[in-house]
Amino acid sequence: MLLPKFDYHEPATLGEACQVMGDLGQKTKALAGGTDLIVNMKKKILSPACLVYLGRIKEMKKIDSSNGLFKIGAGLTAAEVAEMEEIKNNYSALSRGASCLGSPLIRNLATIAGNLVSARPAADFPPPLMAYGARVVLKSSSGERVVSLDDFFKGPGQTLIAPEEILTEIVLDKLRPFSGAGYIKLGTRQTLEISLVNVAAFVSLDGPDGVIKTARIVLGAVGPVPLRAPSGEKALIGEKPSEALLAKAGEAAAFDSKPIDDYRGSAEYRRAMVDVLTRRALNEAINAARSNLN
Amino acid sequence: MKRLIKLRVNDKDYELAVEPNQTLVDVLRYTLGLTGTKKGCEVGDCGSCTVIMDGKPVNSCLVLAVQANGRVIRTIEGVEADTGLHPLQVSFVDKGAVQCGFCTPGMVLSAQSLLERNPKPNEAEIRTAISGNLCRCTGYQKIVEAIHDCSEKMTR
Repeated sequence: MLLPKFDYHEPATLGEACQVMGDLGQKTKALAGGTDLIVNMKKKILSPACLVYLGRIKEMKKIDSSNGLFKIGAGLTAAEVAEMEEIKNNYSALSRGASCLGSPLIRNLATIAGNLVSARPAADFPPPLMAYGARVVLKSSSGERVVSLDDFFKGPGQTLIAPEEILTEIVLDKLRPFSGAGYIKLGTRQTLEISLVNVAAFVSLDGPDGVIKTARIVLGAVGPVPLRAPSGEKALIGEKPSEALLAKAGEAAAFDSKPIDDYRGSAEYRRAMVDVLTRRALNEAINAARSNLN
Repeated sequence: MKRLIKLRVNDKDYELAVEPNQTLVDVLRYTLGLTGTKKGCEVGDCGSCTVIMDGKPVNSCLVLAVQANGRVIRTIEGVEADTGLHPLQVSFVDKGAVQCGFCTPGMVLSAQSLLERNPKPNEAEIRTAISGNLCRCTGYQKIVEAIHDCSEKMTR
């Protein structure tokens, strides 16, 4: 399979990258890990006139923990995210999502930025990141803006990033005591699987045996974009965790989902699995929250 | 327009002029003649093009040659030592882990990378490490046994 011809740029700094992206205009694509973009170019789905490779930019591979925030360089690969101790210990659902993506070979190339900008409805990074309330930093030569991931996705393959912008960083809040998240991916095999359904859940408790103060449930592969489940979340607020409560939230989340029939599974099956996976992800989140004393 | 890149492949330095749209696997196979690296699906699903780049196994069909500029690459040709087959290759032969052989270069490299990071992996870790490498002949069991066998011999 031959790749179409293109011009190639390899900026060494973010400033240079923004400049190049701004100068080259519409027919340009940023190249991160390449595990989606190169495949789409080989299949002739995309044929950008120019590629700007971001993999040499050191600023995009840093993590920074200060001022109550945790910032993750969007150029980090899925393997790097999965193995990072700080992420494993504090954002276990994110680490889990990173370790479910593609295969070990893909994880050594694929980046967070690429996974988000590709905007596949079944992608592994969006649900855990949205559960943690992530924002993304979009930079261009004319400045930067910070956008909530909740608003970032517009449809399959569509986001609100402008052609000249680069997704440089993910911003999370430091976890408060007694808060935590869980992530569960359902597929028919273990590797190189596109989720049938994936669910991430986040809860923040009022103390080890307290009521639920904040809850976020994010459903993947059951809508054109990763979806929050508002009625599922609402069912949890102010309540003490119990099996009956999680069942109620699971049912409500299934009602919030908008699955379709396709060759991977039926809408009916997916809706039923949203119910089950929401309960399980919430259970993981509650256990994580109880053991997170920070 | 062609670009000049430097690659260190199996401990040898190369300076090559490549087109931006050439993939690493094509440069390894057709420019350097290292045909041990196979081309299967060409879209990152099968793992037959696995090479070790800067210490990590990757699908070389998804890496542009220009992206590999300045990086250190190991292909299956770099696994064997002057003294003969690498112990991992011996285990693959001994345990009957090679049938048609098409997946073998990728399997050996993914396995070698695992043993470098984790000399005593359990079965689940072995299966995860080779989960990006498809084999249509062996049913994987003999490959898992070969990796386990090599790990036992090398850590004894």
